[in-house]
Amino acid sequence: MSDQGAVFDLGYTPYEGERRGRRGAVRTTYKDGINRVFGIRRRARKKILPWILIVLAVLPAVVFVGFAFLLSTFAPEADSPFGSHADYFSITGAIILLFVALAGPELLIPDRRSGVLSVYSSRPLRPDDYVWMRAASLLTAIAGFMLIPQVLMYVGFAALSADGFFKGLGANAGEIPRILAATIIYALAYAPLALLVSTIASRKAAATGIFLGIFLIGSALGAALVQATGIPGHRYAALLALGEHPDHVRDWIFSRVGSSNLVVSDAGLDPWISLGVILAVAVVSTIVVIRRYRRIM
Amino acid sequence: MVDAPILSATDLGHAYGSLVALHSVDFELPAGRIGLVGANGAGKTTLIKILLGILRPTRGSTTVLGFDATKEFLDVRSRIGYMPEGDCLPEDITASEFLIQAAGLAGLPANAARQRASDVLTLVGLEEERFRRLGGYSTGMKQRAKLAQAIVHDPELVFLDEPTAGLDPEGRDEMLDLISRLGGFGINVLVSSHVLGDIERTCDWVLMLDGGHVRRSGPLSHLVDADVVEIEVVGESGALIEELTAAGATVETSRSRVFVTAADADPFILVRDALAATGTGIWSMGPKATTLEDVFLEGSDV
Repeated sequence: MSDQGAVFDLGYTPYEGERRGRRGAVRTTYKDGINRVFGIRRRARKKILPWILIVLAVLPAVVFVGFAFLLSTFAPEADSPFGSHADYFSITGAIILLFVALAGPELLIPDRRSGVLSVYSSRPLRPDDYVWMRAASLLTAIAGFMLIPQVLMYVGFAALSADGFFKGLGANAGEIPRILAATIIYALAYAPLALLVSTIASRKAAATGIFLGIFLIGSALGAALVQATGIPGHRYAALLALGEHPDHVRDWIFSRVGSSNLVVSDAGLDPWISLGVILAVAVVSTIVVIRRYRRIM
Repeated sequence: MVDAPILSATDLGHAYGSLVALHSVDFELPAGRIGLVGANGAGKTTLIKILLGILRPTRGSTTVLGFDATKEFLDVRSRIGYMPEGDCLPEDITASEFLIQAAGLAGLPANAARQRASDVLTLVGLEEERFRRLGGYSTGMKQRAKLAQAIVHDPELVFLDEPTAGLDPEGRDEMLDLISRLGGFGINVLVSSHVLGDIERTCDWVLMLDGGHVRRSGPLSHLVDADVVEIEVVGESGALIEELTAAGATVETSRSRVFVTAADADPFILVRDALAATGTGIWSMGPKATTLEDVFLEGSDV
């Protein structure tokens, strides 16, 4: 043997430990989805946008609580000029739209383009599992975006309550189910459609553009057609304003219908119609995505 | 009949609309290293997809490790690995991260997945590169990483689809060596390839598909035809051929090679005597080894 070095054949050790089968595969798919949407374990440039959006979503809540603290200290008799939980959804709603436009394509398109889907196809995972876990990753991220600032505000305002922290918490407890319901509505309005677009488009940039285009052009077109009073049933053109339906339902949830400047509201559409549109789009999108993945996986 | 087959098919067929990819295929394949050969369009990929449970056969049934590949595909996939022919590597994560994910997808807990990823990357010679992103890998390194993801969970059986595609001669040698070693690790292998030399070098059983039919299924050792003597002659072979013909042998030639058969005698005895009588020098002599290419080109069952 050479005195300059030696080669050690470490051999091969069979694995005899636990195998979790489908349960493990499902969990790994979900975890990978979370890593992906936040750029975790990816290059720095993949982290930039999601984390900037997180900061943008949370920062106003921190500022609101901070100003509320200053106000309660120096002008305790003054009315709070800061928005309610319902108002805050207007801020996070816009941010979450952009986040979903980026995250949806990131969850589905790279797996297809790089061929990684063939690895998933060889593991104990059904196509439906893959789609549901990708959706769950996106829904978790959306819930995080929407709920973290709401929790900050809820706890922060309770801490500043003149009646004490726990009484402050109790006084606003009625807001909790409304906050949760509104979060679910936004998630249902955005996530399934983003996954549908990402199933059809072959490139991430195209999917992001199409997704945002559907909301922006739909709103503009809906607003324009609602004004065309010469057309019978013109007010139903407001259905095209997909981006406004979650806001309309949110106002319904927080018992303030008509308080926001919305085309769907101005057109006189009932909130339950907006809810129906959101659910219909979500169901159809989910069915199409699952059927497509059953064919390719 | 094969004792305890790891793969079997009964009347297995599949059609894409009017295009029939597999026609009523039957086979039983034993444990070990199996070569799946055939030209493009022979039905190899269709067969692998059926075995993985990705495609449902339009007729018949197939089993993998004793499980019905269609009805119990999750059980099958828990026990097998698959190295696809095409790309299957995400470019933006490291080999280590990808292998941990691949092991997790096979159901291994996180700690075990990390340990296995490290071990298998060492096994395929990528330990120095494990923290590099896969997008920066060469073709040879990508093929190794693809093999690594297929075996990271220690499967009982691994399907390798064209594992040497795109490799230079050195990389091909290394890949074939790795495949040959898998049997020693207790991993059964099904290698799909149209490179017959790769199958001859790595496998001990061959399943040959042609136009959706099984042309041959059997051990590679059966390709050696003991009834034909193959001699590589030094210099002129004319005197040797005359002597053999006079002794009643049938002789065929191909360049410097002479193939001898005898209806009523042992051809080796005839060749020995003729060599002694004519003083002909030879480079080699032995039973004729029929290559897979010969079988394939003959167009008939062996």
